[in-house]
This record gives sequence, C-alpha cells and structure tokens, in this order.
Amino acid sequence: MSEKLILTAAEQPEAGAALKKSLEMTKADVVFEVRESNMRGRGGAGFPTGVKWNLAGAASGANKMVICNADEGEPGTFKDRLLLEKYASILLEGMTIGGYGIGSSQGIIYLRAEYPYLVPVLMKAREELVSRNLLGEGILGTDFNFDVEIRMGAGAYICGEETSLIESLEGKRGEPRNKPPYPVNSGYLDRPTVVNNVETFVSVPHIILNGFEWFQDLGIGNCTGTKLFSISGDVENPGVYEFQMGSTIGELLEAAGAKDVQAVQVGGASGTTIKADELDRKLSFEDLPPGGSVIVFNSSRNMMDVLENFLEFFVHESCGQCAPCREGNVRLLDTARAIRGGKIMSREELKPFFMLAEVMKLGSKCGLGQTSPNCFVDIITKFIDFPDGKGGM
Amino acid sequence: MSRKPEDIVSAAVVKHGSGREAVIGILTDVNRELGYIPEEAIKAIAKAVDVSNAEIYSVISFYSFFSIEPRGRNIVRLCNTISCEMNGSSDILDAIEKELGIKAGETTADDRITLETTSCIGLCDESPAMLVNDTPHTRLTPEETRRILAGLE
Repeated sequence: MSEKLILTAAEQPEAGAALKKSLEMTKADVVFEVRESNMRGRGGAGFPTGVKWNLAGAASGANKMVICNADEGEPGTFKDRLLLEKYASILLEGMTIGGYGIGSSQGIIYLRAEYPYLVPVLMKAREELVSRNLLGEGILGTDFNFDVEIRMGAGAYICGEETSLIESLEGKRGEPRNKPPYPVNSGYLDRPTVVNNVETFVSVPHIILNGFEWFQDLGIGNCTGTKLFSISGDVENPGVYEFQMGSTIGELLEAAGAKDVQAVQVGGASGTTIKADELDRKLSFEDLPPGGSVIVFNSSRNMMDVLENFLEFFVHESCGQCAPCREGNVRLLDTARAIRGGKIMSREELKPFFMLAEVMKLGSKCGLGQTSPNCFVDIITKFIDFPDGKGGM
Repeated sequence: MSRKPEDIVSAAVVKHGSGREAVIGILTDVNRELGYIPEEAIKAIAKAVDVSNAEIYSVISFYSFFSIEPRGRNIVRLCNTISCEMNGSSDILDAIEKELGIKAGETTADDRITLETTSCIGLCDESPAMLVNDTPHTRLTPEETRRILAGLE
C-alpha cells in the first residue's frame, strides 16, 4: 500500500458532478453504491457508512437529518481542519448526496468551537452552491430540497461522540445517550439521523463518480479507500498525509520524515501506543485502528510525561456522567504520578490499577472511558521497567 | 455602551428561536458579547426557553468556552495537549504568565486579557499554538507571543 491522493488531490471533480449523477440514480442506488464501497466511518469508530445510510433511509419518521461531525478533538488530529478549509464545497456535496439517499432535506454541520475561523469559509461555500442551484430548493431542477446550517460547539471533546453531539445540538449538556435507540432511528429531536465525519462525507462524491469497485480496489481487504492522517510530534514535516488503508505506520513515518522513533501514538490519546519495533503494523480496522492522529516521540521523550499529559486530558474531558470514567481517569492519573514519585515500585502494587483499567473499558458508557485506559496500559506495559520485571500484567 | 444581558438574550432568541435546541446558540451570543454569561442572562434564557435556571446553568458549566465569571476583553487560549507540549507550550505559558503577571485561569487587573489553557485545538502541525479570541496563532516563540499580547487592546 502507499500514499495516494484522492481527497486531497490537486485535481478535484467539478462541483456538482457527483450530485448530478446521484440525482439521476434512484435513492436506493445511491445508498447501494456507498454500501458496496465498504467505506467505514472516518471519525474513528469505523461503522460502515452505507449500512448507516440504509438504516436511516428505512427508518420511519419525518424530517430526517444529515449531520456532519466537525468536532474533531482527539489530540493530534487536524485532518478535518484541512478538509473544511480547502474542500468545503465537496463536503457539502457529500452531505447533499447523503440527504438525497436517506430522504432528508436538512443538514447541520456541528463545528467545534476551536475552529471559529472556518465559519466564513463554510458560509461562502454554502452560498456559492446555493447560487449554482446545487443546494437549497429544487436542486438542479428536481423536486429535491436540501440545505445545510452551521452550528457551533462550545468546547467539549466528548461532543465528538455522536449521541453527545446530538445532545449538544439539542441545547443540552453533551452527555452520551444510552444506545439503543440508535440515532438512525431516533437522533436529533427524535428524528432519524445520520451522523458522519467530515472525511466520510468528503469521500462520498468520489465514490459516486468513480463507482464502488474503484473504491474497493483502494486499501486492503474490507478496509477500503484512502485515509487522511494528521502527523505531528517529532517529525521533520508534520501535516496531513493521505494513504491507502492498510499502509504501514512505517510508510507514514517515512513520508513525514521521522528519523528517531521511540514510540508512536496511533489514533490519538485514546488510541494505541506502539514501540519502534512495531512499525510494520498496518493501519486498518483489523490491526491499528486508523483514527486520524499519529504522534511521534523520539528517544529523548519521557513516556511518563506523555502518559501524564494524556491522562490530564481525559480527566479534564470526561463528561462525568458515569463513575468508571469520571473516577477511573483520576485514579489512573494519580497512579501515573505515584509511579513517577517512586510510591509504586512493583508490578504487584500495580495490579489493582490494571484491573481498574479493565473495569473502565467494560463499564464506561461511551468510547471515552472505554478507551482512555489504553494509554495507561500500553505505556506502562511497553515502556516502564520495575525491579520485579517490566510493567503490566 | 454595552447592551443589557436581557436585551442580548432577546435578540439571540429572535435569531435562534426559543426551542431548547437554541440554547447553545443563545449562550454563545451572550458569552461572545459580554465575555461571560451573567445571572440576569441565565434567568432570561431560562424564561424564554421555559426550563429552570439550574438547567441553563448546568449547560454552561459543561462547556469550556462558556464562563459565569466576567473575563477580559481578549481571551487567550493556549493549547497544553501533547504535540504543543512537546514543542514548548510550557515555555510559552511561562512567558505569558510573566508578561501579564497572571496565572492560567486569571484575568489582568485592567480587564484586558484572560489567559486559559485548553485541550487540543487542532493546530498540532504548527505547534505550539493558541487561539486569541477567534484567531489562531501558530509556531509560537516567547518573543512572538509577547508581540501578539502587546497588540491586544
């Protein structure tokens, strides 16, 4: 697998070409095309997009919603910032195609509060499409109506979780909901709702124009297409890179110019910490889940500093709704500090905290608490030595 | 002359509506104009949307961009997450704290600047980075940061 520019290629399809093609197809065929592409959601969870659209299309209920999750907040992620800045028009087109596919006339972009400077960019892209009859009433002379509203978040990592995002849009605290019901049946204001990541929507026009078989040929096995990676930390050229799914982490690091690698954080603070001898691992949902964030640490970095920074982040960002996450992250941070302070000096003393990590993974209500212990387990297990052996169980 | 909190709420209700789903938009407007959300505004929003004051307060307390304390005319949000931290955000924090004579979370005595640290703001490729009001500033050095602060009114 290799670098392959599609979403970020210099040459982009003409605005409206994919939408025009979609409107000449039946709704079912549009959803079929996306489903057969096997594209999995680009926000991190990796749910198949076409399956989601199929469910929302089939759900009973009026005023179906298409929501774009532009609340990327995972540490080290900035790929959606690039897409919003440079490819806003194709994003809106992808949402419009989604609206046609599921039978919705209303879209919302939930933009994180940290990106206020992107609002004018999105407004301008919307206005241009409206003026070209690619958005709004009677799109391209058909009876299909679709428009997109931009709504701002107010600073909360958890609102990237789709049910938290919906709660926030409803004017509430962004606390995750119990599932089921799933948003496809009962989402924003109880309406059938599709929530997709920015990159997912940006991929849609390319799939429609080139066909699902073309998309299937990109990537590896069931992990199809290309994926954007935000690379930062100890590399010569930090930035956004587009690679086929199934590429190795080593290929990415070579492109970004990583000369001295002690560790790599893949998928952000909630992702996986790997050592320099794991660089042949593949970025795919079967191996290293390809979130959007890749952070490189050179040999001068103290991995306990990294762990403390991540856990401080989770303590701050836990919504506090469920105990395993609210209390657990505080205890893991205390434990990391106790290790550094020499108060915990053996694997034996660490045992209860590895059990706590398991409880958090199993008992937390949403992805935040289920994944926040990963960095604790990975970093202690792989990078910390105790007199009675290496850390971890 | 700034508008009264109740008047800002009334205007925001015209713009966003009075449904529950309008609350974040209304709060954002008040928070932007006054720098914080005073008690009078909380009461006015609760009345307009027909929920309790406590409901509105609980929403405010959830989001890091909202404040119930008065803040400065400018808000500096310095990222303290890992990529910025690795590229020296703590040196930038030291420089700002020394320059302004305040700690993170505080406001200068002349109400000119509030300093906050923030979770990842998605500028990791150009770290260390901060937001000053709505404007991102990247690849900060202590000198450059002092220059940016000096330019704030």
